Order: sequence, then structure tokens, then C-alpha cells
Amino acid sequence: MKPAKFVLLLAVLVLFFLPEMVFAQTDPGVRSNTGVNAGQPLASVAASANDLAFFQAGRAQFIEHQTVTGDNPGLGPRFNLDSCGACHSQPAPGGTSPASGIFPNVGSNPQSQVIANGIVSGATNTIPYFVLANGPVREARFPFFFDQFGFPNPNAPNGGVEDLFTVSGRADAGACSLQQPSFNMARATKNIIFRIPTPVFGAGLMANIDDSTLLANRGAQANNNLGISGTFNHNGNDGTIGRFGWKAQNKSLMIFAGEAYNVEMGISNELFTQDRPLPGEDQFGSGLPTNCLNLAGTGYPEDITHSDGTSAPTVTSDVGLFNAFAQFLDQPKPSTTSPGGAASIANGRGLFSAIGCALCHTPSLTTQPSKLTSGLGSAIANLFSDIEIHHMGARLADNVSQGGAGGDQFRSAPLWGLGQRIFFLHDGRCSDLLCAIEAHESNGGEATTVVAMFDQLLTPSQQQDILNFLRSL
Amino acid sequence: MHTAVLRSLGRLTLSALLLAPAQTALSRRAPQDGGDFSQNPQARPLPTDAIMVKGAWASASDSVTPLPEGGSVADNVYTNKYFALTYVLPPSWTQKYYGPPPSDSGYYVLVQIRPGDANKVTGGTILIVAQDLFFTLVPAANTLEFINHAEEKLQADYKVERALTPVVIANHSFVRFDYFSPVAELHWYLLATQIRCHMVQFVFTSRDTKLLESLIQDMNQMKLPAEASPILGIGGGDVPICIKDYVRSENIIERVDPVFTERKFNPIPVRIIIDKDGKVKHIHFLSAFPDQAKSITDALLQWRFKPYVREGYPTEFETGIIFGYAPKAAEEPSPSAVSE
Repeated sequence: MKPAKFVLLLAVLVLFFLPEMVFAQTDPGVRSNTGVNAGQPLASVAASANDLAFFQAGRAQFIEHQTVTGDNPGLGPRFNLDSCGACHSQPAPGGTSPASGIFPNVGSNPQSQVIANGIVSGATNTIPYFVLANGPVREARFPFFFDQFGFPNPNAPNGGVEDLFTVSGRADAGACSLQQPSFNMARATKNIIFRIPTPVFGAGLMANIDDSTLLANRGAQANNNLGISGTFNHNGNDGTIGRFGWKAQNKSLMIFAGEAYNVEMGISNELFTQDRPLPGEDQFGSGLPTNCLNLAGTGYPEDITHSDGTSAPTVTSDVGLFNAFAQFLDQPKPSTTSPGGAASIANGRGLFSAIGCALCHTPSLTTQPSKLTSGLGSAIANLFSDIEIHHMGARLADNVSQGGAGGDQFRSAPLWGLGQRIFFLHDGRCSDLLCAIEAHESNGGEATTVVAMFDQLLTPSQQQDILNFLRSL
Repeated sequence: MHTAVLRSLGRLTLSALLLAPAQTALSRRAPQDGGDFSQNPQARPLPTDAIMVKGAWASASDSVTPLPEGGSVADNVYTNKYFALTYVLPPSWTQKYYGPPPSDSGYYVLVQIRPGDANKVTGGTILIVAQDLFFTLVPAANTLEFINHAEEKLQADYKVERALTPVVIANHSFVRFDYFSPVAELHWYLLATQIRCHMVQFVFTSRDTKLLESLIQDMNQMKLPAEASPILGIGGGDVPICIKDYVRSENIIERVDPVFTERKFNPIPVRIIIDKDGKVKHIHFLSAFPDQAKSITDALLQWRFKPYVREGYPTEFETGIIFGYAPKAAEEPSPSAVSE
């Protein structure tokens, strides 16, 4: 082809596709030009020397790496990673999954580096297929137990966490010899789902929203014309509304922290006092082998309140400090100008409400008075969640039941801090907002009509405004 | 003492011998925790994109009696036997996804309709929903009050285009309410009537008001039951009439409380059809866990009600009851909100 003809052809192609190229909406990506907008203590905490000391001690404990024995003992015998802060790290401690190369670059997925960093023995552990250097930190669950032939049994729901790694082969693990779960077989039988960490910024505000506020909000949204009708996941013991976790399965931040310490890192504590076997090892087997117990040599629980402490932070257990850290973390600060400018963000916010996204992602709720710190009391929590669980349909269903939530029900994910998150949805399957929005549309899902409006009735410019608004959060 | 020790040891040995085969059999079983199945050459995968663990869900005591959520689209027509409703979809429009199960506040997404992929330029959505007026969280006793509430509580982001207006569609009474979102440049046209104590609502959304008007005109092809009316839609004719709050102590002759084995604190809205003799003929759980549905069914089938007499004759009718945790506390808790 002669150069002149090539240029002419190129010009025709550009003219043909230009409108699409100009107006096609895109996820602006992780917001970086405003610095890190999360991870700070509440102003009232920063103003109090005692509270700030608590917060800082909690933060230090949160990012500390645990070992089987030694100064920070208790890791294992099964675990997903050796530090809270390694998973909850984007864009600051308390956040969610990191990824290399994306602001603020924290390096490769730390789960992918556990062998390289000597956290686990490469002789007895492999990196599961779903842990990628540039992918999200994940925990894995098998929705169903396997039968004796290795087939998933739909009549035997499981759904518990299958820890990725074992301490076996480490010098400080003695003779404890444990296998990793068979993730490849679970993959082959499609009996595996994933969860990524939920950020805990603003968690104290969420904890301090009274049930009556949530119920009133639900009542106020009941007369909508968009197909939305959620419910709550009630705590099985006292009947109050659960609010933490992907399915709002946890009522208490303290219990959530204690459970995570036990499940994700294998550290027993005053709330979960034993080392945790895998679901099948406990329900159908004999628990953990004796030679995998008390590896730290401290007795149980491995994390305790320290009666010999000399100050509040040194007396408090690790779990207590995690709770203090999460309670005192301020909500993320949204940007009013980035990305896309103030007008686009304001327009996007209006559109977000107009087409019904805000029915589930309630922009704000007011907290009740707080005895912990004034910043938590009578405050506006801009969480963008109604804390209800909604049917998300077949595409997002993970077939894990937690409390009152069924296999396709999920809590409306709080969207505060969304602008600086990398991975979206419960399993981190999306890193593009459009992918996440599209996944809300499926058979059996409540959001289908709302997504159809976004997809088919808004102009590309309006869609871009919504994306800009979401990335401003 | 020594003999006793020997006897104990003997028993232990015997127990061990008896238990040994069982333990061997157990140990032969593959671990059920997802242990190493790498030698298994055949994978039998689970279906993808399927909701297999359902939680609280809709169910019924029989598979014959029509249910509100039982409608379907076939040959471009949405048919719902419960509501005796037939709606012809606009040409080239389709149901791409079916809706969620009924909610525990009695809200149904009956059908969601949109232009087919080849006809996206048309730009609109049709949503047909129903709200069981026995269980609604909205303070409304009938469809007229329900839409009036929607108008009164319309968010400031929207502008009213047409205040609540009575209209006739397909020779039946409806109420219509239109509003507009300036920021989205979208119009919502709502038309609602009442059938069997449910608000049945058609929600048309588009940027194009001419399209919306034409969609409303097309509604005249609809078939509806004779009762359909914003206030008077209370069943009758070929279907039972519906009576709110009939489950009161003065109407119950025999009653057996369900026994729940686990506290879950979820509301369990139930519609029941009661025959002329006062016996429960049909039970529809809008939202219940399977064990809850079984316990309640076992109990309700033993209940006896005072027959409902209409124009001098005992009459079959349907009513509602909430078991478990009730979102709104009733004044008389025992019959209308049975505690677990």
C-alpha cells in the first residue's frame, strides 16, 4: 500500500471510530494525585495523647509480622499470611489488597512471596494457582465438602476458610507435618471461591450506627421503583444486626478481629482460644495432629491480656489493639476535584442517586453517641452502604452461607475509599469499575434494572461522571 | 484392685479390637476437607453461575397452586397465573435476566424487560413488580395509598411530571404517577393497580417520553382479572378473596405453634389459603429457611380457623401471617408475630 493511501485509510478509520474513542467511558483508575487519603486516626483521637498512643500501638501490632516461635509467636500451624497489615495494606494499613506497580506501590502480592521470603518452606508448600504476583491477596473457601471420591457433595455445605499455607518444613515448626488443601482439585471441580480483605477504615463509625437507624433507612427505601429490597443478617445470639464482613456476618469488630487473627494467621486468642483446623479436619476428622499444637510453646491462648503491662497499650492483648486501631481509624477522605473535576464528580453523585445505586449504597448514616471518643459520636459516616444483604444473583453467587445470608446474598459493600482500591467485589475478580458494575447484573440479582439503566439509558458522558464520582471516594 | 485394673485393660483391648476395623475404614476414606485428591483422574465439576445454597427463599406447600413469583415469558408474552395477568412485550424487547426471589417484606420483581441487543437504540426499561400489602414496610393499606406515599416521599433529586392520577388501562382502573430526574434526563412513568391485595406496578423508564407514552398505550393489550383496581383489588371470583390480619385470636379455633430448632431472627412472611371449613389449604412462604418452612407447615396444617362467611356462605380466602422476627411489632403479638 502506498503511503498516501495508507494515510487516507487511517484518516477514514479514525473519523469512523472517533466518536467512540472520544466518548467511551473508562475507569480513571486508582486515584493517586491526591496522596493517600486514608489510614489516619480520627481528629478526636489525634487530640488525645492516651487515645493516640492506643491507636499507634494498635497500628504497630497490626503491621507486625508473626512467627511460630520467638518474639511474636503463635503463627500457624495453618495460615494465609503472617501479618494483618500485609493483606490490609492498600493504600495504607487498614486497607485492602495491594498490587505491585499501583499507587502506593507496595510490591508484589505478599502471598506470592511467602516462599521467597522464607515465611513458609518451599519444600512443603506451593503457591496456589490463584495467588498471582500482581493479583489480589485472597483467602479460599470450598463451598461444599468433598465426598470420599473427591467430588464436591452439594448436600454437605462447607464454606469455611481453607488456609493456603502450613508451617510444615520451617525450622521452628518441629515435626508438624500438614498438607495444603488440594486447591487444584477444587479448581477442577469448580468447588472453590475467594474472598479479599475488607478495608477497616471508618470501622468504628460503622460499629456505632444504631440498629434503629439502619431499620429506618430500610423503611425509607422500601417504596422504590427499581427492584431493590434487601434484608439484614442478624446475629444468631442476640438478634441484632450484623455489619462486618462480605456478608455482614459479624456483629462485633472485636470478635471479627479475634476471628481473623485465629483464621488468617493461626493465632489463638482470648476470643478464639484454640488453634484452628481446616473445616474438614474438625467436623469429620480428629482435629489438628498433636505435634502441630502449641508450637509456640507458650500454651493457649497465644495472644493474651498482659497483666504485667505498665500502660494501657502494653496491658492490652493484640486483638484488643487491633480493635482499638480499627475503631479509631477515620473514614477515607474523598476528593472533590479528582478525577475529572468538581463538576463531573458532583454530576456523577447525582446520577448515582438518580438511577438507584444509592438505594443500596446509602451515602451516609449518622452514628449514635460514643463513649470511646467524641469523633465516633453523632457523626456522619459517609460509608455508601445500607449494611443490608442483597441478592446479587447467579453471577456473583459464591454458595457460601454465613449467618442468615445465603449463597448469593452480600452486604452492600461500603464504597468509601473506593477511589484508592485496586480490586473489587468479594473475590477481587475485577480491577476495573466497569467490570464490577457489570457483575451486578445477572439472573436473580436485585441490581439488574439499575445496571440496565447505567448501561443503556445514560450517555457515555454521564457514565463517565459516575465513574469519576466513584473514584473520587 | 489389681483384678479391676486387669478387667479394665481387657475391656480396653476388646474395645480397641472392635474399633480397629471402623478406624481403618475411616482412615481409608479420603479426607473430606479438600485434602490431596490429585490422584483422582475424573473431575465432576459443579455448575457455574448457579445459586445452590439459597438461604431464606420462597417455597410452597404444593406445586400446583399458582404463586406470585411463578410468572414467565414465552413467545414474547409475560404470563402470571396468580395475578391472572398477561402482558405482551413490545416487539424486539426481551427479558434478559429473571429477578430475585421475593423479599421478606413481600416485594416481588415479576419481570424485567428491555430492548434486545439489536435494538438498544430504543433506550428504555420496563419493570413489573408486586408488593404484598400484608407485609409491606410502607405505611399503606392499598395501592392508592402506596403510590400516594411514593409521591409524597419523592426525593428532592426528582421532579413530579404528573401527580397521582386515576387512569383506565385495558378497561381497568390504575393510578399513574410520572416523575423526572433532571440530572439523569430520565423519565419514570408509574402505573399501578391492585390484585389479590398486592400492588402490581409497571415502571417505564426512558429519556424518550414518546416511547413511554407508546408503551403505556400498548398496555391496553393486557389481560387482567376483573377485580384489578387500586383499592378494590381484593380477590374474589375464581380466586380466594384476601383479608388482612385475619390471624387473630378471635378467629383461631385450634393452634399449634411451630417448633424452631435454631434462632435466626429473620422475618418469615407466609400467605395461607384457608378453605370453607377453616382448614389451611395452601401455604406460601415468601422467605424462609427450609427447616423453618417445614416446622411452620407442620404446625399450620393443624390450625383451624373460624370459617369466613361472605353473603351468608362460608368462603375460601387467603390471609397473611409473619412468623419469627417481625419488622413491625404488632399490637397483639401472639397471633400476628409468633416468636421463635
